[in-house]
Amino acid sequence: MADDDYNDLDMGYEEEPPEPEIEEGEEGEEVQPDDELNDPVIEGEDREAEAKEKLQRKTSKYMTKYERARILGTRALQISMNAPVMVELEGETDPLEIAMKELRQRKIPFTIRRYLPDGSYEDWGVDELIVEDSWKRQVGGD
Amino acid sequence: MLRSHDNVQFTKQPYIEDNEPRRIESIKFSMFSASEIGKISEIDVFRGVYYDAQKKPIANGLLDPKMGPPNKSSGLCATCHAKYEDCPGHYGCLTLALPVFNIGYIGAILDVLKCICKSCSHILLPEKECKDSLKRIRNIKLDSLQKTELRKKIIKKLSSKQEVQCLRCGYLNGKVKKGKTALQIVHTRPKQDKNQEDSGPSPPSLINPHDALLLFNQMLDQDCELLYLNNRPEKLLITNISVPPLALRPSVFVDGGIQSNENDITERLKRIIQANACLSQGLQDPSNSFKVLDDWDYLQVEVAQYINSDVRVAVLQGQQPTKPLSGFVQRLKGKQGRFRGNLSGKRVEFTGRTVISPDPNLKITELGVPLLMASILTYPECVNRHNIEKLRQCVRNGPKKYPGAKFVVEPNGDKRDLSFSGRKRIADELKFGYIVHRHLEDGDVVLFNRQPSLHRMSIMCHRAKIMPWRTLRFNESVCNPYNADFDGDEMNMHVPQTEEARAEALLLMGVQNNLCTPKNGTILVASTQDFLTSSFLITRKDTFYDRATFSLMCSYMGDGMEIIDLPTPALVKPIELWTGKQLFNVLLRPNAQLRVFVNLMVKEKMYCKPEDRTTSCREETMCPSDGFVYFRNSELLSGQLGKTTLGNGNKVGLFSVLVRDYNAHAAAACMNRLAKLSARWIGNHGFSIGIDDVTPGKLLAEEKHSNIVEGYRDCDGLIKSFTEGKLALMPGCDAAQTLEAQITQKLNKIRETAGKVCMKELHWRNSPLIMSQCGSKGSPINISQMVACVGQQAVGGRRAPDGFIDRSLPHFPRNSKTPEAKGFVANSFYTGLTATEFFFHTMGGREGLVDTAVKTADTGYMSRRLMKCLEDLAVHYDMTVRNSNGTIVQFFYGDDGMDPGQMEGAEGFPLDFERLRFKVEATCPTGNHVKLSPTEISEIVNRRLLDYDMSTGGGCCGAFKLKLLEFFDKITKRKCYVSEQQLQVFLDACVSRLRLKRIEAGTAIGAIGAQSIGEPGTQMTLKTFHFAGVASMNVTLGVPRIKEIISASKKISTPIIMAKLEDDNNMKMAESVKGQIEKTLLGQVSKSIKLVMSSIRASVVVKLDMEKINSLRLCINAYTIKDKIESSLAKRKNDKLEVKVIDDVKLAIIPKAEKLEAHFVLHQLKNKLPTIVVKGINTIERAIIADEEGKKGKLNLIVEGTGLREVMGIPGVDGCKTDSNHIMELQQTLGIEAARSGIIREINKVMQSHSMDIDIRHMMLLADVMTFKGEVLAVTRVGIAKMKESILMLASFEKTADHLFNGSVNGREEKIEGVSECIIMGVPMQIGTGILNIRQRLALPELKYGPEPIIA
Repeated sequence: MADDDYNDLDMGYEEEPPEPEIEEGEEGEEVQPDDELNDPVIEGEDREAEAKEKLQRKTSKYMTKYERARILGTRALQISMNAPVMVELEGETDPLEIAMKELRQRKIPFTIRRYLPDGSYEDWGVDELIVEDSWKRQVGGD
Repeated sequence: MLRSHDNVQFTKQPYIEDNEPRRIESIKFSMFSASEIGKISEIDVFRGVYYDAQKKPIANGLLDPKMGPPNKSSGLCATCHAKYEDCPGHYGCLTLALPVFNIGYIGAILDVLKCICKSCSHILLPEKECKDSLKRIRNIKLDSLQKTELRKKIIKKLSSKQEVQCLRCGYLNGKVKKGKTALQIVHTRPKQDKNQEDSGPSPPSLINPHDALLLFNQMLDQDCELLYLNNRPEKLLITNISVPPLALRPSVFVDGGIQSNENDITERLKRIIQANACLSQGLQDPSNSFKVLDDWDYLQVEVAQYINSDVRVAVLQGQQPTKPLSGFVQRLKGKQGRFRGNLSGKRVEFTGRTVISPDPNLKITELGVPLLMASILTYPECVNRHNIEKLRQCVRNGPKKYPGAKFVVEPNGDKRDLSFSGRKRIADELKFGYIVHRHLEDGDVVLFNRQPSLHRMSIMCHRAKIMPWRTLRFNESVCNPYNADFDGDEMNMHVPQTEEARAEALLLMGVQNNLCTPKNGTILVASTQDFLTSSFLITRKDTFYDRATFSLMCSYMGDGMEIIDLPTPALVKPIELWTGKQLFNVLLRPNAQLRVFVNLMVKEKMYCKPEDRTTSCREETMCPSDGFVYFRNSELLSGQLGKTTLGNGNKVGLFSVLVRDYNAHAAAACMNRLAKLSARWIGNHGFSIGIDDVTPGKLLAEEKHSNIVEGYRDCDGLIKSFTEGKLALMPGCDAAQTLEAQITQKLNKIRETAGKVCMKELHWRNSPLIMSQCGSKGSPINISQMVACVGQQAVGGRRAPDGFIDRSLPHFPRNSKTPEAKGFVANSFYTGLTATEFFFHTMGGREGLVDTAVKTADTGYMSRRLMKCLEDLAVHYDMTVRNSNGTIVQFFYGDDGMDPGQMEGAEGFPLDFERLRFKVEATCPTGNHVKLSPTEISEIVNRRLLDYDMSTGGGCCGAFKLKLLEFFDKITKRKCYVSEQQLQVFLDACVSRLRLKRIEAGTAIGAIGAQSIGEPGTQMTLKTFHFAGVASMNVTLGVPRIKEIISASKKISTPIIMAKLEDDNNMKMAESVKGQIEKTLLGQVSKSIKLVMSSIRASVVVKLDMEKINSLRLCINAYTIKDKIESSLAKRKNDKLEVKVIDDVKLAIIPKAEKLEAHFVLHQLKNKLPTIVVKGINTIERAIIADEEGKKGKLNLIVEGTGLREVMGIPGVDGCKTDSNHIMELQQTLGIEAARSGIIREINKVMQSHSMDIDIRHMMLLADVMTFKGEVLAVTRVGIAKMKESILMLASFEKTADHLFNGSVNGREEKIEGVSECIIMGVPMQIGTGILNIRQRLALPELKYGPEPIIA
């Protein structure tokens, strides 16, 4: 994804190599082994069950813009209330900007609970979902 | 509200009330009984007085302090001892001497009375039927709508009969009806005793409230259930009035505390108390029963008006009409009522409104906020380690000095005002967790909005930029979505107050994320007006700049912050020169680090087709007027940039390509650069318009003169031949129509030729010409109106009508049809209009004004209805489209699950393959790779198609794959060979892009659809009739047609059936079918209809015109006509007549009447006979044989009128392919699916006729919503009530009080699910960001606590 160029000085919006849209390493990014991080208590069988459940999840593995907005909003609120920040800061002070940086580095400690119309739900870790698009550009400030 | 105190469990644990935030789960509507009213009330109110002499409220009066303090100055509440502001208010109770009807429930009362025996209160149904119905209504699967249906059925059954005998007590019940006034119920009892012939029907008796109450008291519970009454029916009557708390009806002191001004409700209650007192006094004294009845009626009226003051009652004697006191219903209903005025829409804080002005130096995402505003509006920022120093400085500055703060709120809730001294101390004491209400600062998130908010882009999120002076400023590129200009428009600004709101606003409503409209995916935020003009001028073929100028212009683009690589000059010798086109290369890609490679080909307005060129060059790019814009790898190779490339409303322009191929930021950055460049450049270059720009040249003047003279002569000739009656008629028109049409055509030609000459004659440097060419403002018509000729003025689509007797203006002779007399303006705006021309011009202008005024209200209401109907539809995580109670409306949004706002291709197709191929070819050159053969290509493509991400499950629908294959077929045919690498890149790009274009779960697709259909409505001119191409066949179009479709009208103004013929190239066949369909009257096919009086008998003799019949291929003869006459005349009258066939062409009709009236009967018959339909379908107006659209020689029939079923049955008509534009008829004849596709097709047709491109998915959604219940439901209050369950939602739409009263009678429960309900209750809705929940991970990753290393 094209977020790696964030370190660039300014308003540059360069990404995408001259040969466009060859998505590299998309699969690799998709699921990180996060079980330890997620729930260290779960023992073998449970974990297996959970893994199975994860396989059976039906909803898209891409994060929707609504999920992104909600996560960033909630996280920005936490950060604005002095929550510890999960990433190295480079002078950012705006909570939303910090939250975006955290999301870019998949460090937001949230789980998304997606409700299906029958009332059941699927839990997706923020780090499991693929986030398309680049960030800074979404918000108009640079 | 459900608060489960009822099931408190008894344990030894002490009861602790939880103070957690509570969420209202549901609301139950029910009725209050007398005892319940008594229970909740604090006092009895029986004195109709307010204050005593000391201005103290009187006890047991209407302002008793037990019900709360009546106003601010009157101390504490006597019940809860709270102040006026804090006391929630307490109820009182007012007991009535006699029961009265509740006006809101009068319908329900009537219904119940219709169904029960007026003696024993049992339901008037037989036992068995009763049980059956009960079983049915108790079915838990039924929703409220079906239950209401059942109830209606029972009531209808019982009220249809004149008399019903009660099966239990034998009492004979009559009809129960509403009386003269709204509050009377009349029971018309039939004759009690059949033997007493003379007695007649017994006089209708009134059922008074007391009787009703007694009857209701006796009713069985199960009978109540049968009638879908949730509660005991006696609650429908009022015996006790609960006096509302004073908080609801405050009493205000005016004139410095001398007089008190009472609320309408209080005054009404006073009257009720007085009437009640009167009545109870009368009851004590049994002598005067008439007075009691009068008093009772009066009380009844007062109580009814207490609830609904609109109730029409007979004015009682001795009552002067006064200003009406508003009742409770009036408080709720209407636009200003509680529901629409206070619950669905609320007034908000932290807003600003002022005049807007443009500022091209701002980014498109920015909003210039006046300093004054910025220091009034605040944002509560929580102090944390990142911002403490900044906030300290703000606190120190205080509320007056700009980057300051107004308040500091401590975590314990203490609020410190910073307008006083001690700010420094507060600043020093600032700790984490404090909240500082600081002034707005640069980069803050604000919402910006302009009314009317017709679509979601009418409110967007900007970043504030604090600037001096007094206006809100923004980049002109953003005018379009707001539909704003700077002629004095004002706009509103809102400041979101929480971090979450800011994040959501920024990410979902940001200007960047709304560059394209979800209506169809065209770009909306784009360059306008001057930006287009200057780009056009800069990119002229002959503009060259030297190093200094070029560098200067490059520096205009940014704010001196951008690194710019100067391109190689186009000319090196004699001096280095750069072209204006090269400036756009810099603009797109300022430096080599920026990897943006735009590739596009666009034909501008002035593009000249190769075949039209005078030069021999046939290359597209070598257009003589330089109209072919060609960007290759961000280099502008050819073309002068104009509106198509840079403007809004298309999918092929530069910014659209940037948005699609790169991202919104790329497009936004380019727009910013272009705005700055053009504003600064055109400021130096100068661009103006003067009188010499519109002065016609000599040649033009001459040519125009001769043109007009010639045209007028032609018209005179036409008029002459008309008056002489020699005018050759056009098909389907009479002489006058033909004349009009031909003259209009002639006159239009005059203007056209004048315009053409004018455009040709204008100098290329002419400013209006430049503006019209680049598309920034004005059209060729506007220019030629200024320079050459204004042209014909039309009123209602015709030439100016006759406002005087037989003439348009008194300046002309009667019946004059000359061009001048009918509103042709031969002058131009430059030469000036004559008096008469001026009058005609104002007529045309007036029509436009009236039209706009009328259509705003019309389309506004249409939009509101659409919105209410579709508001709760959203895409769920399983990709189904459902409404708020979970009913599936679509299984897959738009059949392919694509987001209409992201569609690149034409007609809502996700991708533009051709452009993508072009881009791939340019960005990844073949080099020395081998080009593939067609077989290899298809092999690779087919292999790729088998991959998972190209499967239907992976998000590619079949239609997409088909199109892809088709495309590859096309390019191999064109011999466009590609290398393997290019093919791979192309296919991958297709897949990955397609994935990004899928609709996301949570999207409020209903609201988007409603806006997408409603917003274009405002742009349509209201009364548009349109020729469907064939002989004056009018079809309603525009707003009226859309209204017809969405309100599912039973009767539409122009029903048309398109009938396909089985044999579609046989004219004779077609004519005979036409003859069968079209209604033929006897008068049309008879030579004569005569009275024949002979000595024996008198008769009417009809002589048929067989020649005509045969020429029309009618297949009728005397015998069939005989049948027709018999059937149609016998139907009309009972008197007998005989029809005799004399021979093949003669019929005699002999009426059998008395001698005396025979004469009249004969004449009557003679008049009636010509109108008898002898052949064809009655409901059909006419049929026309026409060529099928686009196909010459293929005939089909266009039939005007209804009767689809009959037309389909006519032999020769291909029933399978015949279809109608009448939605309701389609549903009745062909079923619901036909109706659905009919709705889609018809809306699409209207939109296309106004050349408005709306994604088909929106119309599909609307059609699905209208049909998903199995019948076509209109988007009106009736239809919406059948679609939705929610009482609150329906109440906030229309008929507020009715829905609420019915809801409480039926005991409905309101689950707060939908959008309206959530807004009313202040609950987040389950759409968009509300569709998911976020949970904090419990195990947090390890964090290093401790001092940070000094050296990193």
